[in-house]
Amino acid sequence: MSLTGKLLTVLFFLSLPLQVLGWDWQTKVTVVVQHQSLQTVCELLEKNYNIHFSYSRDLVNLSRKVTVTVHNQRLKTVLEDLFAPDDIKFTRVGDLLVLLPNNKTTRTINGYVKDAATGERLPGATIWSPTLQQGTVTNQYGFFSFTTTKDTSSVVVSFIGYQPQWRQFPKNDRTIEISLESTTLLKEVVVNGGEGNNLQNQTQMSKVNISSAAVNKTPRLLGDADLIRTLQAIPGVSGGMDGVSGLHVRGGSPDQNLILLDGSPIFNFSHFFGIFSLINPDVVKSTDLYKGAFPARFGGRLSSVVDITLKDGDMNSFHGDAAIGLISTKFDLEGPIVKDKTSFIVSARRSYPDLVYNSLIRLEDDEKNEADLSAYFYDINAKLNHIFSPKDRLYLSFYTGEDKMSLHLDSTSIPDTAKINMLSSGFDVSWGNTIGALRWNHIYGPKLFSNISLNYSTYAFSTQIGYKYTLPAANELIDQVGSYRSRMEIAGVRADFDYRPAPSHGLRFGTAVNIHDFKPSMSTFADKSGSVTPLDTVANGPQNTAAEMLLYIEDDWQLSPVFFVNAGLHASGFLVSGKLYHSLQPRLGLRYMLPKNWALKAAYTQMNQYIHLLSNYGTSLPTDIWVPATDRVAPMSSRQMALGIAKTSNRQVYEFTVEGYYKNMHNMIELRDPMGFITPDLLRWEDQVSVGRGWSYGGEVMIAKKKGTTTGWIGYTLSWSTRKFADINNGKIFPYKYDHRHDVEVVFNQVLAKNWDFSASWRFSTGSPLTLPVASYEGIETGSPWDPVTGPGNSIDRYGNRYNYRTENSHRLDIGINWTKQRAKWSRTWNFSVINVYNHKNPFYYYVKRDDEAKQRYLSKVVILPILPSVTYSVKF
Amino acid sequence: MKKLVYFIYAFPLLLVWCACEKRVDIEIAYEGDKLVMNTFMQPDSLIYVRVTRSVPVSEYDETAFKEEAGAQVNIAASDGTVLPVTLQTIAGRRYFVSGMPAKPGLQYKVSAGSSGLQPVSAYDTLPAVPQVRDGSAQKSSTRIKFILRDYPGTGNYYRLRVFTVENSSAKSALLFRLDPAFNNNLIDMIANGNSTSLIMDDSRFDGRELTFVLQTQDPINQSDSLMVEVTTLTYNAWQYLRTVALQQGNSGVIVSEPIRVFSNVGNGYGIVAGINTKRLVFKVD
Repeated sequence: MSLTGKLLTVLFFLSLPLQVLGWDWQTKVTVVVQHQSLQTVCELLEKNYNIHFSYSRDLVNLSRKVTVTVHNQRLKTVLEDLFAPDDIKFTRVGDLLVLLPNNKTTRTINGYVKDAATGERLPGATIWSPTLQQGTVTNQYGFFSFTTTKDTSSVVVSFIGYQPQWRQFPKNDRTIEISLESTTLLKEVVVNGGEGNNLQNQTQMSKVNISSAAVNKTPRLLGDADLIRTLQAIPGVSGGMDGVSGLHVRGGSPDQNLILLDGSPIFNFSHFFGIFSLINPDVVKSTDLYKGAFPARFGGRLSSVVDITLKDGDMNSFHGDAAIGLISTKFDLEGPIVKDKTSFIVSARRSYPDLVYNSLIRLEDDEKNEADLSAYFYDINAKLNHIFSPKDRLYLSFYTGEDKMSLHLDSTSIPDTAKINMLSSGFDVSWGNTIGALRWNHIYGPKLFSNISLNYSTYAFSTQIGYKYTLPAANELIDQVGSYRSRMEIAGVRADFDYRPAPSHGLRFGTAVNIHDFKPSMSTFADKSGSVTPLDTVANGPQNTAAEMLLYIEDDWQLSPVFFVNAGLHASGFLVSGKLYHSLQPRLGLRYMLPKNWALKAAYTQMNQYIHLLSNYGTSLPTDIWVPATDRVAPMSSRQMALGIAKTSNRQVYEFTVEGYYKNMHNMIELRDPMGFITPDLLRWEDQVSVGRGWSYGGEVMIAKKKGTTTGWIGYTLSWSTRKFADINNGKIFPYKYDHRHDVEVVFNQVLAKNWDFSASWRFSTGSPLTLPVASYEGIETGSPWDPVTGPGNSIDRYGNRYNYRTENSHRLDIGINWTKQRAKWSRTWNFSVINVYNHKNPFYYYVKRDDEAKQRYLSKVVILPILPSVTYSVKF
Repeated sequence: MKKLVYFIYAFPLLLVWCACEKRVDIEIAYEGDKLVMNTFMQPDSLIYVRVTRSVPVSEYDETAFKEEAGAQVNIAASDGTVLPVTLQTIAGRRYFVSGMPAKPGLQYKVSAGSSGLQPVSAYDTLPAVPQVRDGSAQKSSTRIKFILRDYPGTGNYYRLRVFTVENSSAKSALLFRLDPAFNNNLIDMIANGNSTSLIMDDSRFDGRELTFVLQTQDPINQSDSLMVEVTTLTYNAWQYLRTVALQQGNSGVIVSEPIRVFSNVGNGYGIVAGINTKRLVFKVD
């Protein structure tokens, strides 16, 4: 056969089905009907395109009326749109298009839960079928997907602070929105998630949810409510030094906390040297604290995850708050840009004592030169979100916050020829975070949700110094300027998927790539007089760029009616300086239902941390520097096991949690001696640190009352936390700096009357480890008694084992009272708080004092937080 | 209005200022009496050994460091020589003094024992002489210069001190630091880093010859001559002097961990280490 003949034969056979059957799935069809039954649409297709339908009228119901307007669309697409709502399957048999009922026995309902008034999506809300004893919880974006039996007709939807709602399922599986009405008893909100979200129904353990209402109700330090101080009242969390917003979770150090703000990591979470949290609590929607049992989607830190979700902004109307306290003033405003489509929220806060002082007090130095001083912090939050369609929503969030101090002096005095005469000096220092995130929520179908995000976060510390002076007698003019900067950046892209394939499975999986850029300790120095040759070039810290990749998958799996598993795997890699560090981190959570609705839970997690914090003081300071793992100092890793029981009482009034945990940590670092950060020491930081291990174990009990006019919780922690470093403490195990044997927290909220509510918190901690000298002895300065000496001789203190003492127990009662007056369109609130009501002198630190007046040496403690009242006035509209 | 603002701020500030120190009535445990043996051994110089006894931390009076006049002190060189030792009182203080000078290139072991106390011992070598020259300073200026040549390839450690000179001998120590322009470190501009001695290693200038520039706290007006003392230190001497300076600088603040002063004396406290000093005396221009 010739080539032409072969081609014609092939073409004949290829075109045969089309010629014989007349249509295929790609056939373009046009259908325009208005309020006609599906059967009519089928008849139209048969008439116009010769598509013959075959089906049983008993099994397939084509009576539903539809309105269809499609032009030249694929046949298959048109049929999918037509039949999907009625669960009608279609398939081709010869030239027949056969319609069949979908034999599936389950159905999937998906959608969002939101606040009826503001449109704010509600993460953690519960969708629960009481008859089936099955349910699900909305994710961080308020999305849920609930696959259940086909005959499930209704569910109860609930969220703490909102009226529970019985909801009939729609006939089809379209995306729905459920609006919950806020209750007037929002003040009751204290801790934990949805009303139906009983602890025994969650495999997740070691997690606590804190609402912004709970934060705002706690007694205020200098008039500011504070997120981290509220978290410190959770069992298993210690604050470190009195009055400081530190976070030591289950014996971990502050650098081991992953703090996420709308998904972006934050490197330094405090203002004012750790006294205040970074963020205005009024714009926080909710906060999840994970102390252990970390879901596979989290990684990168050893000891805790603080997942903060900011408010989205009211979709329906404009609202705002403004408040003034003793330290700061703040406002926030939210509202729709396009109603039910686009909303915004913006907030700003600034401390203002410097403004007051500068207007009242003239600052002078010893020479009576006037000085300009400013010292303040501020933060700004902004967030936009836009609903493109029921399946697509975009969020754009931005945060910037900074602490700034500056002192400038200009001399007005007449030069003294016998002295160094300062002409001018200036000192500026600032530090802060800037964070941006763009997130896209998309629903692919009833069972699959995704969040794709771009994140950027940076922390920068910066100093500028100038000093100009003259030595008239030597005819010298010295003019020196310098700067010091330290910056840590992370930028990344992340994709998270939420897939609910079956009632017994809830899958989450995702991936992320982050680029870390470390620029620590970048200095410039210039001597404008230029008469001295410097010892070396300006010392800069070790600069690095690193790439971090991760993949994770986790499945919330119901193995039997009483046995549940959350199994996950987090795989990550960290590429820095040509070396790839990687790890596989299994995560496992188990839940077994005991009689009387108690849940027995267990968890095992492994975590890796590829970055280390160089810190002199065991608490977070602005000068702290992050460095990546190296050949000599490998990434940190931890393993944690937890076992506990939990229950929420039948009417969701009480919650009971008892947990025990054991955690070990590897490749932790500790500085051998205090290290200067603006020196070449930083280049040799690996020589300055000791690498070692740590262990933490203990138990936590929490009893919370969640409903009624009296709410609150009582927490108790029994814990041990130890460390071991080869060249510290002679290689012997010693306790962690903030190891407390016993901690008790009592948080109490009482609605007193319509306009009055009262809150109190009492904390008790047994003593922290303390190192005191064990002897004093004579020192030596010179080789010979004939050599010149520089002083009267020295006395040296001998220190034995690290932490050979414990500080005294510390305890403190804080109270606050709110008076709120509700007007037609706005309300005003006065908050009166007293920190440390009975003025207990809790130690900030200790030292051995040489008292030259009393001619004695003794142990002295410094107290920084005496009884401290404050008042805050706020308006809300 | 101003009165109101004052009141609002004065009250909490008053409370904050009230937040101060309080004596803690606990007794700091004492590890018990131990022998303290201190000596810095210099080549071509007699070895002076101080032997005292430790005291409880609560002891205020530094003169309470009791001298162990009855101690037995032995000094042995690595070549097998045992140096004779005598007890001498110099300027009111008792020293155990070797009968012959230490020799460069040898290691010396010093041991001491006293009744009722554990015997102690330690040893060290002697460092090479510092290579320094050409000290200079200008009247009414704050800068002092000299040239130092570092031994290459080995870790070298130094101590610098500056004195005014009267009648060819040191009179009083000056407070000084590395000139910020020389040290190339902006933190010097805001930190009061002046002290009477500067301890450093050669990691920034290994094997180089360079002109050191020191900056005195006050202009140089009080003396016609100055002495710059440069001392090379063994690792033991450097660790001891460095940690002593850190402990003294850290006193009063125990937010960070206290500094442990280095000691190489087994079963006791103190330091036995080698030093080598060279002094540059020069006229102030």
